[in-house]
Amino acid sequence: MSRTGRLRASFRAAALSFLRRRTAVFFTFLFPLLIVLIFGALIETGAGGGGLFAEPPGYYVPGYLATVVLFTPLSRVGSEVARHRDGNRFEKLATTPLRRWEWLFAQTLVNVAVIGLAALLLLALLVAVTGAEIVLSLWLIPFVVAGVALFCGIGALIGALADSQDGVIAISNAIALPLLFLSETFAPPSLLPAWFRPALELSPLTYFSRGVRAATFDSTGDPLANLAILLGLAILALGIGALALPRTD
Amino acid sequence: MTDVVVASDVARSYGDIVALDGVSLTVGEGDVLGLVGPNGAGKTTLVRALTGTTNAEGTVRLFGEPPQSVDRSRIGLLPQSFDPPARLSARELLTYYGGLYDDPRETAAVLADVGLTDTAETAYEDLSGGQKRRVCVGVALINDPDLLVLDEPTTGIDPAGRRAVWQLLEELTDSGTTIVLTTHYMAEVERLADRVGLLADGTLLALDSPNALIERYGERPRLVIDLPDEVTETPSIGFETVVRDEQLVVQDVSPTEIGTVVDRLTAAGVEPASLAWREPDMEDVYLDIADTAVGYSGDPIDPAELDAGSPVRADGGDQ
Repeated sequence: MSRTGRLRASFRAAALSFLRRRTAVFFTFLFPLLIVLIFGALIETGAGGGGLFAEPPGYYVPGYLATVVLFTPLSRVGSEVARHRDGNRFEKLATTPLRRWEWLFAQTLVNVAVIGLAALLLLALLVAVTGAEIVLSLWLIPFVVAGVALFCGIGALIGALADSQDGVIAISNAIALPLLFLSETFAPPSLLPAWFRPALELSPLTYFSRGVRAATFDSTGDPLANLAILLGLAILALGIGALALPRTD
Repeated sequence: MTDVVVASDVARSYGDIVALDGVSLTVGEGDVLGLVGPNGAGKTTLVRALTGTTNAEGTVRLFGEPPQSVDRSRIGLLPQSFDPPARLSARELLTYYGGLYDDPRETAAVLADVGLTDTAETAYEDLSGGQKRRVCVGVALINDPDLLVLDEPTTGIDPAGRRAVWQLLEELTDSGTTIVLTTHYMAEVERLADRVGLLADGTLLALDSPNALIERYGERPRLVIDLPDEVTETPSIGFETVVRDEQLVVQDVSPTEIGTVVDRLTAAGVEPASLAWREPDMEDVYLDIADTAVGYSGDPIDPAELDAGSPVRADGGDQ
């Protein structure tokens, strides 16, 4: 068994811990649905119809998906790292055969499974509520997996750097909010000042948005190139995140 | 006997604070080393140095290898203030930590060992403080380690539970497990430890068997007598006496001499209100050495100023 057994044990423990936290389940499943109901149903959306959302509903699918792909891994993994450090769990794990990257990988798998499910529910609600005309492309799967992995890695880094769980939440929100709205998610680049547009390339979420939009709404885009960049960033973030995890006091 | 733990000149500082200052010790196979000392003495830092979870100077070898290189299935650690995932039950926690090893013990057997069979399905966060600590002890045992390192394993456990853990640890040592434990309970080291290391201000002030430490540092057997209020002068009874806090302390009294002391007091017109005979124990040793070294109310002093002897090496010989 060895590595497989360690990953299975860690995955199971992480999944049970996650699912038994009511607030975590709420924010993972219900918060994005509320966003869809508020921004997709209450606020008027229609091409050329004015209002906050001027593009067709399908344009905003990457933005809605980003709410689950971005927020949950950042805050969940970051908080988990802080909890592990505060409870001396890393000190314990350092004397077991479990490696740091295995721990982070198990956490990532849990997030992929949970957020994958939340993304499915989100897509179904989007189509039902907003009438969004999208292609249910298989590209969505690798994009959600890579996006979740990327932000799990960044979440681990935040958890290692922050000195408390409160600090993790504060840093996560400070990073996630600008990314959510400035990554070609809800606001098209044309609505941003020209001098700011190059900054969009710096956001990893931009490649998620472009790729998901290319796969589901605008076939002129290139899902593969964006996925390659996203995967590269995810591997880098997971590597740095694993190295940043506390090993000693 | 093979040395399972060998530490040489281990030191660790956090900025200007010296947590460990050149600690050297060995622990033989199947032995129990108890580490005692005031809060902040360096016990937890020493545990971390021994298990490779802090970047300490000096040399540490477990089973002849650096802690980071040793087969991790041979070590069971209970860190201080360990707080495992709170929403998992005792059984789930032991299954989780057992799943990290190739050949763990049966979860049910470990639950039985730590007396938690009846509460195995209760979430950790809903257990009492003592039950939580027993889960943590179980987590340290789940891989059937050859070396068990326990940082305050019985803190928060009620007296009956504590004795159950002691019995469990005694059974483990009988089967050859080597144990390093820290504690604030002197009765724990007196019962379990083959040798006791007393730390203060990062320095290992003494290291020897409980009996040897008591003989070296402990006071003599004594009779403590509560004096009636009307007694204002110390009666002369042919024994060395000291008056402390309205109590007459008669030094160096064996149990067979208690009657003689009482007879002489009565003859001197003093009727004892109550009396208690005390043998020196590890608590006396601890208070004597730690109080002298740290001063509790003053600055640390040089260990060489200890009036009852100088620090000893790992082998128990005087430095």
